[in-house]
Amino acid sequence: MAKNDLQGTLDLLVLKTLAQNGALHGYGIVLHVQNASGEMLRVEEGSLYPALHRMELSGWVASEWAMTETNRRAKYYKLTAAGRRQLQQAEESFDQLVKGVRAVLRYA
Amino acid sequence: MAVFRRIANLFRRSRIDRDIDDEFQAHLALRIDDNLAHGMSPDEARREALLRFGNPASTKERVTSVDAALGIDGIVRDVRYAARQLLRAPGFAITSILTLALGIGVNTASFSSMDAVVLHPLAVPQLDRVVTVADQQGRGDYKPVALANYEDWKRQNRSFEDLAVHSSVDMSLTGAGDAAHVRAALTSASFFSVLRTQALLGRVFGENECQPGRDSVAVLNYGFWQRRFAADPAVLGHKIELNQRTYTIIGVMPKTMQYPSDSDFYLPFAPTPQQLQDRATHDYLVTARLHDGITVQQAQAEMRILSEHLAKVYPATNQGLSIRVEPLLDGINGELTPLYYRLIMGATLFVLLVVCANVANLQFARGIARRSEIAMRTALGASRTRILRQLLTENILLGLVGAGGGLLIAGLYLHLILISMPARVARYMAGWSNTSLNGRVLTFSLLLAVAAAIVSGIVPAIAALRLNVTEQLKSGSRGATGSVKSGRLRNIFAVSQIALAVALVIGATLISKGMLGLLHLADAYQPNKVLTFNVSLPPARYDTDEKKATWYKDSLARLRTLPGVTHAELTTALPYTDNAWLRDCTIENRPIVPGKFQSAFYLPVSDGYFAAFHIAILAGRTFSASDSLGAQPVAIVSRRFAAQYFPGQSPIGHRIRMGNSRLTHEPWLTIVGVAEETTYAMWDRSTLQAAVYMSAAQLPPAGATYAVMTNGDPLALAPSVRKSLAAIDPSLPLDAVMTYEQYEHEILTGLMYAAAMLAVDAVIALLLAAIGIFGVMANLVGERTREIGVRLAMGARREDVLALIVRRASWLTGIGIGCGLLLAFGLAHLVANLLRGVRPDDPTVFVAITVTIAAIALASSWIPARRASRVDPMQALRSE
Repeated sequence: MAKNDLQGTLDLLVLKTLAQNGALHGYGIVLHVQNASGEMLRVEEGSLYPALHRMELSGWVASEWAMTETNRRAKYYKLTAAGRRQLQQAEESFDQLVKGVRAVLRYA
Repeated sequence: MAVFRRIANLFRRSRIDRDIDDEFQAHLALRIDDNLAHGMSPDEARREALLRFGNPASTKERVTSVDAALGIDGIVRDVRYAARQLLRAPGFAITSILTLALGIGVNTASFSSMDAVVLHPLAVPQLDRVVTVADQQGRGDYKPVALANYEDWKRQNRSFEDLAVHSSVDMSLTGAGDAAHVRAALTSASFFSVLRTQALLGRVFGENECQPGRDSVAVLNYGFWQRRFAADPAVLGHKIELNQRTYTIIGVMPKTMQYPSDSDFYLPFAPTPQQLQDRATHDYLVTARLHDGITVQQAQAEMRILSEHLAKVYPATNQGLSIRVEPLLDGINGELTPLYYRLIMGATLFVLLVVCANVANLQFARGIARRSEIAMRTALGASRTRILRQLLTENILLGLVGAGGGLLIAGLYLHLILISMPARVARYMAGWSNTSLNGRVLTFSLLLAVAAAIVSGIVPAIAALRLNVTEQLKSGSRGATGSVKSGRLRNIFAVSQIALAVALVIGATLISKGMLGLLHLADAYQPNKVLTFNVSLPPARYDTDEKKATWYKDSLARLRTLPGVTHAELTTALPYTDNAWLRDCTIENRPIVPGKFQSAFYLPVSDGYFAAFHIAILAGRTFSASDSLGAQPVAIVSRRFAAQYFPGQSPIGHRIRMGNSRLTHEPWLTIVGVAEETTYAMWDRSTLQAAVYMSAAQLPPAGATYAVMTNGDPLALAPSVRKSLAAIDPSLPLDAVMTYEQYEHEILTGLMYAAAMLAVDAVIALLLAAIGIFGVMANLVGERTREIGVRLAMGARREDVLALIVRRASWLTGIGIGCGLLLAFGLAHLVANLLRGVRPDDPTVFVAITVTIAAIALASSWIPARRASRVDPMQALRSE
């Protein structure tokens, strides 16, 4: 069974973003998801930060304060080994979900 | 580690708050930068960024709440919330805590005692690697070992790191207060290394002291050091006299090393060269420590091959002997003590189950009252697992507080057990004096508390969650009707309480009845009118048969002249004491088939023994004064002996000899009489043994048990007995001076202890079951007050209402008793297989207990039923 929840989807997006971009701050994650989805998905800050905090407590991501290119101090997140495993699971789970939903939609 | 981070976060709350603020500020600043870069005005850029971010306060709240949902912070909050909830329902909390404390208390006490006596009686490192090695004759009893065999084992085995030998001797101690009868363990120096134990004070003896002539050193047992020397550390270097030989005290053993349990002293065993050659005298007990990696089975297999080899080389002595290797722990307490403890522990865990059922019932009642609270929290978004966790936290808190109370109860209980155990019996239980509330016991009670909390809480908690939120909120805070489902669950709990109580009470009663039967076995001899005591004659002074015979003759003569004494006799074993010595016997002109053993109890008695104990002489004659030392040795055999070995003919005139085969120095005895059967066994009366009596004047034993029969109080006679015997030999101690009745009680101490503990358990279970059914019925009445009001308003009579409630109670009680009887029947058969003297199918007990419990259950439902019948219809309807 696919884990059919939206929170799972947000986690997946964040993990994937970090996997593709290395270390990124919260704002960077918002921008990347927006751009990569062709402006179709928008991550709400109100959901992103609790999710990041939870993933950090679960040991999926690690954080570190660093300077941005524009010389501002920001908190950077990067994927841990556990996070990489979690990403793999979440991707599989999402594929299942999509397949399941497709199957239902195609059913006539 | 995620867990550590969570815990660390607890203590860095303010730092984390600042961290989150900083992160949000950075986020806003980055977006403002971007907006500015896209050409917005500074004001516009800032406004857009704030708008996109949403409410930072609520986001921050959600970030920090992640901590709470995930763990420790949440637990602390849960515990505080639980404590507040419990304080709000003090009646419930106190009842639950007391009940749990009682259950956990008796369990902790039982476990603590069992831990000390059965599980860890000796503080020996890796006790499971220490074994006893014994000879075994055929498939029969274990036999002490002959020294020459031990020496061979020691040289030839590969299984053991080291072996040690010890034997017990009775000695008289002089030179330290009154003369006393003491028991010493003669041990090889390796005894201490096999057990890996050291002296508490001073030192133990070494190899060089285990040689004849250098062996005059003694190590004290802790208990004896306390009793005799008042735990004086200056005792080291003291000189004492044992059997007229001077020994220097060099050490004291620790309290946790009471092995062999009846020893007062450890003395070096210094064998002579002849002793080392002896394969016929089976006098020694052998302990050994296994090599690492060798199992008991492997050692057993090796020793079996060794014993077969020895039997080939020394057929005269070793034919038919095999070797038995057994964990030391199995041998320390024998068979019965661990059995009693398992029985008590089992029953006590039963009590805990009853306690859990009781607390669960209380939870159900409370769950109904808390419905609105739970519905409200669900409506506000708490998840089911969250609420379940909260409810269980509350229970575990109850359990832990209960465990605290339980430890107090256990402490008190243990104190009572310890002071009520006769000192003479406690001495023979290796671990008894170690009983304490130690770390293992605390862990046990803690685990028990959590387990009890979860067991008693999970079902009510789940039932409480299974409710319809909207319905509940709609009906308001007054909605106090239990669902059909939780009502059924509560009934199940009440029924199981009654069932458990029935089983426990019947079990306890059967065992008590069995025990009473055993206590009264010797009633025919009027044991409350008989004074008994033991005398053992020190071999150093009583070194010839003449001296021993003179002592026995003189002592009996003096005792018989005391006022009030009707008989004064001696024997080596009184009836029903399990004290008789079973020996091999040979019948003249009848070859012994190797491997087939004939045996009988060996009983030297005084001339008047048969008359005093009303044992009829069926044929021939009894002993007389003419059967003296110089005369031809004679014997009287029991009826069973005659039937077993001389079927269809008279045994009189035949000659028998006690002891094994050719090697014995025992004389041939001519049978002159046949005596009626008398039972010497107490426990195992299923396989009765034949007996051979001989005259104590002719074959004087090294020690004897005296039986002084009187018209009055036997104990009042004790001082004059002591005085008249001291007149013959002032340094000869009298041991175990008590009435025959007390003696029987002492033998049964273990069973009496078990029966008493079970009775306590049974009473607690019964009480809780009564409270349980009362609670269920009271709640039923509470919940149905309105319905009862309607019934009464519609014209139902009060008797109908009363009958309604009582009928319900009868149903529950009936089912409970039915299940309980089935359980009791199974248990009774189990117990009867384990304990002799217990009849599993005692109809009187079953009927009496059933009626009693039914009466108690109905009586405890009477109060709620009466309350129901007195409901005022107007009041009940208006209250809605």
